[in-house]
Amino acid sequence: MVLTLYGNPKASCTQRVATVMHEKQVPFKLVTIDLSKGEHKAPDYLEKQPFGQIPVLDDDGYLIYETRAISRYIAEKYADQGTPLIPKDLKAKGHFEQAASVEQANYDAYAGKAVVEKVFKPMFGQTPDDAVAERLLTSLEASLDVYEKILSKQKYVAGNEITLVDIFHLPLLSLLPLTGRDVYSTRPNVEKWAKGLIARPSFQSVKDGVKSTA
Amino acid sequence: MVLTLYGNSYSPCAKRVAQVLVEKQVPFKVVIIDFKKGEQKAASFVEKQPFGQVPLLDDDGYFIYESRAIARYIAEKYPDQGTPLIPKDLRARGLFEQALSIELNDFDAYISPPVHEVIFKPFLGLTPDREAFDQMVIQLEAKLDVYEKILSKQKYLAGDELTLADLFHLPYGVLLGPAGSNALDTPKRPNLSRWFKELVARPSWQAVKDEFKSMD
Repeated sequence: MVLTLYGNPKASCTQRVATVMHEKQVPFKLVTIDLSKGEHKAPDYLEKQPFGQIPVLDDDGYLIYETRAISRYIAEKYADQGTPLIPKDLKAKGHFEQAASVEQANYDAYAGKAVVEKVFKPMFGQTPDDAVAERLLTSLEASLDVYEKILSKQKYVAGNEITLVDIFHLPLLSLLPLTGRDVYSTRPNVEKWAKGLIARPSFQSVKDGVKSTA
Repeated sequence: MVLTLYGNSYSPCAKRVAQVLVEKQVPFKVVIIDFKKGEQKAASFVEKQPFGQVPLLDDDGYFIYESRAIARYIAEKYPDQGTPLIPKDLRARGLFEQALSIELNDFDAYISPPVHEVIFKPFLGLTPDREAFDQMVIQLEAKLDVYEKILSKQKYLAGDELTLADLFHLPYGVLLGPAGSNALDTPKRPNLSRWFKELVARPSWQAVKDEFKSMD
């Protein structure tokens, strides 16, 4: 049975999972959950995802939610097809987990919220909190200074091979310029890494909207 | 060579790792990084932990930081001693990853701000904002209501077996009461309260909760 992904074509988290599906060459059907109609809070949806969030994956009756959990599950289940995305060696895996934790605590915590303020709120006719956004972007830039150092010594965030964690930084990497802050021009290693990820066919396939591939 | 863990007694994240080391029966020695002296910004430390944060683990020259990453590394390196903390089956592991992500996005993101507001701000010479605290706790409680639903159907967050995901809730969870909210210990959420109380009572937590010290 084909995997079913419940999400929204333009939502960052849905795009993140879809990118991984493309990297791993795993066909899937997208079922759109319309947030503007409150479909994510409907009782039958809450049965699948009790926090009322998207996306959710249905693998032949096995339900799993949280973008990074779904992504890891796919990368493990289909380890032998598509791009290898999780290291096998214990020490390489430790550094993979280190990078994964940094992605959430020192990158997404700032970048995600800043993009909501500066990009998504105006899109939905809401007023951004500029003071909050500026503080978040300043914190993000401090983290990106560390990324610049790390990426001067290795090609990707967990080492010299691409992993899931690099992919997790998309699609925010493509949205950061829209916040009005130039985070890339003073950080050539970060810029090279970000541009390379954005150019990957897997992300190009989803950036304008996720579509079913099955 | 004995594992070396860098941290201090006021870092919840350092205790997160210490607890997992005890749970897995792995001896370790500690090196104190004193924030009051700015030791986390020292060049020799930043060389190993470029974000200037604790904890940091040195496993015989292999350095790894981020408490949840260190904890996973330990649980993966020593799968056959102490308590099993990571499921082996693919689908069970998917639900384990789901639980870890829930801990980060639906618990830690909502409990850190109020705990920082009341417990950590005074250390920085700042005055806690009680009204802000109350608002943050209301948002946390909305998430804890979902935890209550989940834990009414299964014993632990990833299923019926204890995993790392449950343990990760302790270091900040235990600070909520002292901060002034009983959201984790209320008859309003009996399953959540039962789950959390049991975690607190584990000998591994009792061994590390008060002091960050060598256990070799």
